[in-house]
Amino acid sequence: MAKLVVDPVTRIEGHLRIEAQVEGGKIVDAWAAGTMWRGIETILKGRDPRDAWTFVSRVCGV
Amino acid sequence: MAGSIYHHLLSRGVTRRDFLKFCSATAATLGLSSSMVPQIAEALEKKERPSVVWLHYSECTGDSESVLRASKPSIAQVILDIVSLEYHETIMAPAGHAAEKSLHDIITKKKGKYIAVYEGAVPTLDGGVYCFIGGHKAIDSCKEVAAGAMANIAVGNCACFGGVAAAAPNPTKCVGIQDIIGGTVLNIPGCPMNPENFTAVIVHFLTFGSLPALDSLGRPLFAFGKLIHNNCERRPHFDQGQFVRQWGDMGHRLGWCLYEVGCKGPMAFQNCPTIRWNEGTSWPVQAGHPCIACATPNNWDAAYPFYKRLEGLPGVGWQANADKIGLGIAVGTAAAVAAHGVIRAAKRGKVSKTNDEGHE
Repeated sequence: MAKLVVDPVTRIEGHLRIEAQVEGGKIVDAWAAGTMWRGIETILKGRDPRDAWTFVSRVCGV
Repeated sequence: MAGSIYHHLLSRGVTRRDFLKFCSATAATLGLSSSMVPQIAEALEKKERPSVVWLHYSECTGDSESVLRASKPSIAQVILDIVSLEYHETIMAPAGHAAEKSLHDIITKKKGKYIAVYEGAVPTLDGGVYCFIGGHKAIDSCKEVAAGAMANIAVGNCACFGGVAAAAPNPTKCVGIQDIIGGTVLNIPGCPMNPENFTAVIVHFLTFGSLPALDSLGRPLFAFGKLIHNNCERRPHFDQGQFVRQWGDMGHRLGWCLYEVGCKGPMAFQNCPTIRWNEGTSWPVQAGHPCIACATPNNWDAAYPFYKRLEGLPGVGWQANADKIGLGIAVGTAAAVAAHGVIRAAKRGKVSKTNDEGHE
């Protein structure tokens, strides 16, 4: 049983980690994790809704 | 010289003419006289492309997009080919361990010879667990990369000052790169940064062997030395009290000053009005939206709310009388606008009449 880890996953926006459990040459289980968190939802709380787009558009710039 | 930037550009189909045009445009961005163009051209003809390691932390990749996206292929080549991008997660082929290996190889084999570019803030809460790359925390990664870099450049407001990730209540206690690695960090803020400023910094570094002059916030003076408000093409409307009061009103349609609807140009330093965006096509204020002071530290709170008139900036006296200016001139403006309206209506009438008649 081997564990395969791909981190960082490149050619994407953001930080992604993939782990896969391999048995007999086949993947039997896998996990994906976003490895960065900024809390934009928390930052938006209590702000003027008209300003929301300026913040949420910065979730992903691609 | 083979291996030089110029040679590389020629091999990619950039003509001598385009190359010299690029040198001139960059000299202009840097605020240098045209007599410096030959020196820039000579440096690019002789020097090899500098190795660049580009790291991503708490960010949206908007600054990479800013550099990568260009409408004309020749200019895209110029921007991309002027540096040798050795590590950049968004566009590199290797992933996982292979990517980690490339980074390790460069920072060891080219120690002291690469330029480190940082995009994104560094979270510090809970020991920095809110951003991992390849199992390494951003807070550790930037220190390791910075140690062997010949220059450290932070791009975008997040890497410079914490940016949107550090907006109140700053959930992950994000800070800019300089706060973590110390020393001299050249900051090219903006949300995103303007790619022309990045290219100009690199060209300056190649031509003169040093970073350009910086302000107290580590920003190059050539790009961040002037107030947007003082260079704004809508400034005459401010001086005449001609303000946009509501979205889509007559003033908005006529391109009047956006101060009353929240423009933060009077507190923002950047060269947007002169170099603009998308190869000089336009910039937010030209397009009819107020400036949000995106190159200012903590703009997400300091320039907030974005659609409320800027007030109470210490040391700047004109806010107090902006209304007065507006009111005083409003009467004259209204008369002028009414007259203008009449003229326009008359013209329109004439045009439609001639059109109806089927000739010009």
